[in-house]
Amino acid sequence: MLFLLPDWVEPVARYMLETGLRNTLRMAGFSLVFATVIGVVLGTLLTIKFAPSRWLIRLYIEVWRGLPVIVTLFVVHFGLTPLLGTRFEFSPLTSGIITLTLWGSAQIAEATRGAVQSIPREQHEASSALGFGWVGRHTYVIFPQAFRRLIPPLVSLLVGIILNTTLVQIIGGTELLESGEQSVERLNAIPPIGIFEIHAFEIYGAVAVVFFVMCFPLTRLAAYLERRLVV
Amino acid sequence: MTLAVTYDLGSYVSENWEFLLRGLGRTLLVSAIAITGAFAIGAVLGAARAHRVPVLSQVAAIYVEVIRNTPILVQIFFLYFALPQVGIRLDVFTVAWLSVMVWGGAFNTENFRAGFEAVPFRFREAALALGFGRLRTFFNITFPIGGRIALPSSINTYIAVLKNTALLYVISYEELTTSAFQINARTLETLETLTVLGVVYLTLVWTLSASIRWLEGHLALPEER
Repeated sequence: MLFLLPDWVEPVARYMLETGLRNTLRMAGFSLVFATVIGVVLGTLLTIKFAPSRWLIRLYIEVWRGLPVIVTLFVVHFGLTPLLGTRFEFSPLTSGIITLTLWGSAQIAEATRGAVQSIPREQHEASSALGFGWVGRHTYVIFPQAFRRLIPPLVSLLVGIILNTTLVQIIGGTELLESGEQSVERLNAIPPIGIFEIHAFEIYGAVAVVFFVMCFPLTRLAAYLERRLVV
Repeated sequence: MTLAVTYDLGSYVSENWEFLLRGLGRTLLVSAIAITGAFAIGAVLGAARAHRVPVLSQVAAIYVEVIRNTPILVQIFFLYFALPQVGIRLDVFTVAWLSVMVWGGAFNTENFRAGFEAVPFRFREAALALGFGRLRTFFNITFPIGGRIALPSSINTYIAVLKNTALLYVISYEELTTSAFQINARTLETLETLTVLGVVYLTLVWTLSASIRWLEGHLALPEER
């Protein structure tokens, strides 16, 4: 089947998958882990009835959920250096991970708050009676039960993160879409660099297909897990 | 190396407010067109999904899944950079409203489908018993009640549509984000640029979110109060 394809396909596909897709997945993986950890901690802290900390966490959630992700990306990539100095100059991919961590942790914090509050009060009382402090109680008793409710939003978040990694294209990070754009431009160049042909339709179509193949099963999985949780 | 940072939001705004306001106007214009379109798409296709209209329902399902599971940035790229290759040339303004409308329409189809399906069956039964036809049952019963149930989630989609217009930066459509960064390219007042963007977007988004919370209190079905 492969030999029926035109000659330009193989190197382009190789570049887009080995460099582009790899960076997309790496960004998504890091962002998911960081966002989950920060989101779970903030969401649990949000259940403490101490007004100042609640206001601060609320502000964090509302700001990073409220801003368009691309504006957050610009803040992280262009705003931190003039504000804090050149030590805070990040590569596009790092800026992407920081941005998606901020955005994702805001989503997870909100979900965690709901999940933790859904655990009946008796669980808190019983674990306190067994001698657990606040941290131990949440780590060993409350969170393991709340985590079940967090799984569907976490899968949805992964989809959101994968889709939003494309924003890094705008600041020049070589993720899947950017690797596609570079390939389109290269093919359109005059020989010997390119072959002076436009293949935007095939390449951007392929980018869409790759994202669909990754995200569609996850979307269905999230819907399935959510249904199973309700019953 | 020390970075000379002068932060003067006042003069930034007073020198550029007309340009920024024109950008904001385009953001709101594109959002308004897209939201209107997304409402229509959502109502029609959501009804087709909820009532399992043959063919249309399946087409709507595919449309929803394709849009929801591919990045909107790729959709914008496809409309603006890929379609000309097959002879479809859309100007930048058309791509601007079309891309965010198609995106919002897909999410809104799901919102309305869920809303229509949540209308208690006995309401429709009552209408049919009163001699309403299927179409009149839809327009007099399912649409007003289901649309009301779907309103909070569809406003969430409209907020997301508004936020997504910032992505039109990639096709250089001069909405708020593009305008602000054009000023930035000239004056290098990055922090002022980002402040303006942050304040304007958060004001818009927070106002709309507050309206959802207000509506949720007022729109509950009478029997659920």
